[in-house]
Amino acid sequence: MITVAGVTKRYGTKLAVEDITFDLPSGRVTGFVGPNGAGKSTTMRAMVGLTRPDRGEVRYQGILYHNLAQPSRVVGSVLDARCMHPGRTARNHLRALAASGGLPSRRVEEVLNELGLDAAARQRVGGFSLGMRQRLALAGALLGEPQALLLDEPSNGLDPDGIRWLRNYLRSFADRGGTVFVSSHLISELSLFADDLVVVGAGRLIAVDSVDAIAAGEDITVVVETPRPADLITALGDHGLAVESDGSRIRVQATTKAVVSQIAYDNGIQLFELTETVRSLEDRLIEMTRASAQYASV
Amino acid sequence: MTSTTVSLQHLTPATRSRAVDLRAVPSALWSEGLKLASVRTYRLILILNAVGGGLISWAMAKFITDQPMYVSEVGFYFTALSAILASVAGILLLTSEVQHGTLAITLAAQPTRWVIAFSKAAIAATNGVLLGVVGMAAGFGGATLAGIDMGDTSSIATMTLWALGYTSMAAVLGLGVGMVIRHSAGAVTGILVWGLLIEGLLNQVLPVRAARFLPFLAGDRLLALDISLETPQAVAMALSQPQAAAVFGGYALTAIAIGTILLYRRDTA
Repeated sequence: MITVAGVTKRYGTKLAVEDITFDLPSGRVTGFVGPNGAGKSTTMRAMVGLTRPDRGEVRYQGILYHNLAQPSRVVGSVLDARCMHPGRTARNHLRALAASGGLPSRRVEEVLNELGLDAAARQRVGGFSLGMRQRLALAGALLGEPQALLLDEPSNGLDPDGIRWLRNYLRSFADRGGTVFVSSHLISELSLFADDLVVVGAGRLIAVDSVDAIAAGEDITVVVETPRPADLITALGDHGLAVESDGSRIRVQATTKAVVSQIAYDNGIQLFELTETVRSLEDRLIEMTRASAQYASV
Repeated sequence: MTSTTVSLQHLTPATRSRAVDLRAVPSALWSEGLKLASVRTYRLILILNAVGGGLISWAMAKFITDQPMYVSEVGFYFTALSAILASVAGILLLTSEVQHGTLAITLAAQPTRWVIAFSKAAIAATNGVLLGVVGMAAGFGGATLAGIDMGDTSSIATMTLWALGYTSMAAVLGLGVGMVIRHSAGAVTGILVWGLLIEGLLNQVLPVRAARFLPFLAGDRLLALDISLETPQAVAMALSQPQAAAVFGGYALTAIAIGTILLYRRDTA
């Protein structure tokens, strides 16, 4: 169990994160989502002792990160896959990292094999693609056979095969009892394998819940256009449906186009348009974080 | 890629203690040694040191004819530049980690900052010794090739120890500067400009009793070469080798102490 309690960090007058609190249970994949500048990276850095929070703390089974005797055996992290010396070979990068964490050198060959990097072990990292760097960074995180993985945008640069492998790997890691905390902008991707979500915006916690609970807010809206809007609104109202009207266009909440079509047919009302839209988990999360987004497209 | 199917063990993690930190030092030393040995930059510095030492010593022995030159002295002349190169290598030990983001990985793997600082200082000092040995070997080789007399060889062993002390402390000073500035170009430019230019200018304008305490002027006195003393007053007030070691070592220790404090206090990107 990882406990993040009241983590607050300011850089000068700028608030990076404020009172971020959540638990990461074993055996579950927790997604970490939020727009750019929401405080995801600051939170993750605070979790591995690279950023000193002004307030709050992070504990691993009750122990502060900097009090762990061998942090690499407790949590493996990838906060930026570009963090490697371009002139060093993949094997030497891992050898130095294993030595830093006091880990046996045999683990280097094991993780190279596990991540499919044997053939690239003697190549300098400077020649690696971003996807290869992601794999090498993940190999570094796995060196200590940790109980938890903290990964910031791990699928960046991976090809579809790599993304699927990563998804399955993280799912299997959690199924074996590990804790996975993974940030991603690809919400649809996260929804395929995450159990829980931590949603942040503008440095503040917006929601902590299971994917199912957040997705339960998904709803279907039917947009319908008719020359007789008043009659259709009355007919829909008689069936207890909530409607919003905009001239000849009507939006009907929480129903399906089959229901609306049947009601119109039963009342002899002609329809020009009948469209069903489903608000996805992605839409829900974008809506939740919209107010806090620093940079938004128009 | 393959997946393992071993269940993860959820044992309560061991907590850190002074003994755990001390036991982590050999691993951290090994890690820093690997990092140094696995990057071409440090090998290039070593080669530059060897080639420069040989060429400059040969040229000095060959072309300076207005005073008697001996291999036993000329062989040490390049050590002052070896010390500057050792400082540059020391700087890069930290700043290249910052530049490439590997400092974050290092500190995540070993959160006890003093272990990292100590290991880097030890490896920097060892690299400084290596640069000193290579620089002197090249210097003696170049001077010998120029065909000058060997001169008095009785003090070569002692001089070598002082010279290696200089290059190792210079490397630690460079590491400390790198830990404070955390920017390769800025720190390297700073130490080159300071060591090769500013101290020379300050030596001209400051009173001798003050100028002798400038870092690299004090460091150069470890070599006890009168060639660096330009006036009778400078000769009279020159620091002895132990005094020079104390002054230069003081600068190195101060820099590494400030750098270590900053390593504790600063966030790592």
